[in-house]
Amino acid sequence: MIYLNAALSQHFGPTELPAAVRTALGKPLRRTTALTQLALTGALACLPKDRRSMPTALLWQSTRGLREETRQLLNAVCDAVAEPMPYDFLASQPALAAVQIQPYLPGLQTATHFPLDRAEHTQWALLISLASHWLKAGRHAQVLCAHLDVHEGVCSGHWLSLSAQPLENSPASIHLNLTTEASVCPDTPEFPHRLTSWLNTAAVPGLYLQSPAAPRLAVEFVRI
Amino acid sequence: MNRPVYIADCGLLCARGNSGKAVANALWDGEHASSTCQVGKRSFPYFSLPLDAPDWLTRAEQAVRQVAGQLGPLASDTPLFIASSSFQIGLFEEQGAVFEMPLPSASFSRQIAEWLAFSGLCSSVSNACISGFSAIDAARNLIAAGQIDEAVVFGFELANRSTLAGFAAMELLSGNVCRPFDARRDGLVLGEAVAAIRLTAHPTRWRIAGLGTGLDAWSATGPDPSGGPIARVTVDALNEANFKATDIELIKLQAAGSPSTDLAEANALHKVFGQHMPPLLSLKPALGHTLGASGIAELATLIACLNDDRIPATAGFARADPEIALFPLVDRSNLHIERALLNLVGFGGGLATLIIERQP
Repeated sequence: MIYLNAALSQHFGPTELPAAVRTALGKPLRRTTALTQLALTGALACLPKDRRSMPTALLWQSTRGLREETRQLLNAVCDAVAEPMPYDFLASQPALAAVQIQPYLPGLQTATHFPLDRAEHTQWALLISLASHWLKAGRHAQVLCAHLDVHEGVCSGHWLSLSAQPLENSPASIHLNLTTEASVCPDTPEFPHRLTSWLNTAAVPGLYLQSPAAPRLAVEFVRI
Repeated sequence: MNRPVYIADCGLLCARGNSGKAVANALWDGEHASSTCQVGKRSFPYFSLPLDAPDWLTRAEQAVRQVAGQLGPLASDTPLFIASSSFQIGLFEEQGAVFEMPLPSASFSRQIAEWLAFSGLCSSVSNACISGFSAIDAARNLIAAGQIDEAVVFGFELANRSTLAGFAAMELLSGNVCRPFDARRDGLVLGEAVAAIRLTAHPTRWRIAGLGTGLDAWSATGPDPSGGPIARVTVDALNEANFKATDIELIKLQAAGSPSTDLAEANALHKVFGQHMPPLLSLKPALGHTLGASGIAELATLIACLNDDRIPATAGFARADPEIALFPLVDRSNLHIERALLNLVGFGGGLATLIIERQP
């Protein structure tokens, strides 16, 4: 068993994200992409200051990834008359995002990026399963799972903060199951929003998450 | 549940050949010739796959089918993990503007699953050069926990101009040859590879004994020169394996010939292994740095070498760097290795160490 400490969803318009970053850090984050800024804003929103130095892993998925940056790179590479210099694209690589946010999350030990292969399906169940194993093994004190995406200028970040030990206000415990109840929550980007709604309103004690592609990776949330 | 996880089969296609056995033979014979590629007006050495397909997609399909064919029969619901740093960007380049990019960034993984006739869990990992070990880490955790019984982990990296332009722009490429840990090293030599391993809960010859991943936030393009973060990840992997440093009998280095990264890795090895340095081997002078595929391709290569007790020499190393003060194997040997450690140090700060142990 592991514990849910926070579930949140963030949406920012084209001009709102840099302002949110400035508010969170007290200064702008220069030479970073929207995905990196989203990652930082969400991670800081999930973790109170006293937990930002604890050993932390970040597992993040994205549907569109660096779509616009990749398009710009392709234009530069395919249209170039001289040798292209794709510095901006390199600065946007997912592997760099964690390095860029680590100064603000000193406990961040590792990060893995899972680009998605379907438009409507996500891999929350997989990410939560991995987080559960890592937390039980003592690899980290907490794991952040996220879905980050930019679509037509709107930046969306959905987050779950998980730990091996419950906090005072942890709203739910999480259990991995091989089978589920008939009624399951679909594995989609906004799952944390559905989870929050269930925590706030539902009368039923448990919520199941399961992906059709991975029926043996079922996750049960139980309200504390 | 915390089951041991084993490596059942390997498939490999790289510049040195189209099977683990063929690659091991080529390395044993000292083969390390490369071709060349052009970036603008500059020319760089490059390790190309021995494929003659006329277009990118046909080439990719040939490569995937060749590698999958080496894994033996696979159930259609076998979970699939795909590690790549560039996926199908070479296809977009070939198609040209207006670049018909599918919405999901890893949509090419579904194409690979279709070629394999796989219909189960398909997950993609893109963590630059450590993608392969990150994907193994995900798959082996699910197996260890009893959530799945086996998985295929693919490493996929085919030639594309975008990657070459990026590395060339940062002046990270050698214009000559890959010289790991050598005083004259002047950069990486890139290459293509497609490789796969099948992980299983059923005992086989090789067990995954430990795997650690980490971050090095020193800079965007190079690791902490002291090697501290790399050493911490190596120690994490040793601790998980419950091994002492002296238990390791061979290290497959990251060592790609990068002036700064080679030094950081060497300093990390000094911290962890001190006076008890195991034999050191770099495969990149013969395979090239195959980026997102390098973890799987080099693991498959190493296992093929270890299975035959034939450890190749490290091509490209001749003159020791006094600052590094480490010496990769310059003579091939018939050492029988029970426990080997493999390092990956990635662009962007990703770090990973994998330890494998031979089973009785």
